[in-house]
Amino acid sequence: MPERHITETLDNTPFTALTESELSTIREHAGSCIECANAFAAAQLSSVLLKERISEAAESAANANPFFQTRVLAAWRGQQGPASGWSFRRLWNATGAIVASMAATTAALAVLTFVVPATDTNNPQTAANQQAAALVPYSAETVVLEQDQDDNQLTNDQVISAIYADDNEGR
Amino acid sequence: MAHRFFRDRGQAEEAAQETFLKAFAQLKSFAGRGSMEGWLTRIATNTCLNMLRSASRRPELVTSGLTEDETDWLEKVSDSSRAQPLDAEQKMIAADLAERLLATLSPEDRLALTMIDGEGASVNEVAEVTGWSESKVKVRAFRARRKAREALEKLIGKKH
Repeated sequence: MPERHITETLDNTPFTALTESELSTIREHAGSCIECANAFAAAQLSSVLLKERISEAAESAANANPFFQTRVLAAWRGQQGPASGWSFRRLWNATGAIVASMAATTAALAVLTFVVPATDTNNPQTAANQQAAALVPYSAETVVLEQDQDDNQLTNDQVISAIYADDNEGR
Repeated sequence: MAHRFFRDRGQAEEAAQETFLKAFAQLKSFAGRGSMEGWLTRIATNTCLNMLRSASRRPELVTSGLTEDETDWLEKVSDSSRAQPLDAEQKMIAADLAERLLATLSPEDRLALTMIDGEGASVNEVAEVTGWSESKVKVRAFRARRKAREALEKLIGKKH
């Protein structure tokens, strides 16, 4: 069947790749068959449209966005961020300085609290100071902390008599 | 490559960006086998096909959907027995119409038609880029050609 043959030829081969003999056969047949003439015109039109579409695509590609590279690199960095965002290394980079300083402060406080007082008793100078403080009956600590006890131990009369005892003797 | 598939500059750039991001991520898998250009082209092709698949909308090309300029252009072109050089405006109308014609095809058919009939690529080249067998490429191209021809036949037939 000639019509079928022509449309199959059109569909089997790109229009621009049709040979001269194929084209002459098609034209010859299309002269006497309206349907095949239509098919031939449509195939020709399809070829023209595709050609224009491809040339437009080539022009668009030639006028590429100058910031495209920057955009791709930014997207790449953005994509890389969340992927390893919770890794230990990243976490350490962000908070390492604070964590390290906090640890150092805690260690220093612990040393000052527990280690330094224990070592001070071994120091002869410190021990002598502590003994001297113990001999003073009204040291600052005693006055402040044991104020109530002192009041209870001496009555006012006793204090007055102790103060003015010498004066009475002089008279 | 992306401009072949997407007329819209934004979409083309998105496809190109996606291609480069995939290429960066899979750079170890390249391993220097074959050309870098071929490897990138294959990634780009698959990326564009996936983007077209996700769009999935394939509007039919009908006469009522044509603009006045497109209708005039079709009449002029189909009436002239010989192909005439197109001016800038006519080229734009032709590219518009081509995009609408391609949008009616499946992404695979579109790829085959664009590369083989539009760019003159061989069946073997398309097979290499897509990873399809040569017979699949031939079938796709045949089917795409027929669909495009039939769609345009309807438009031309209704004009006459």
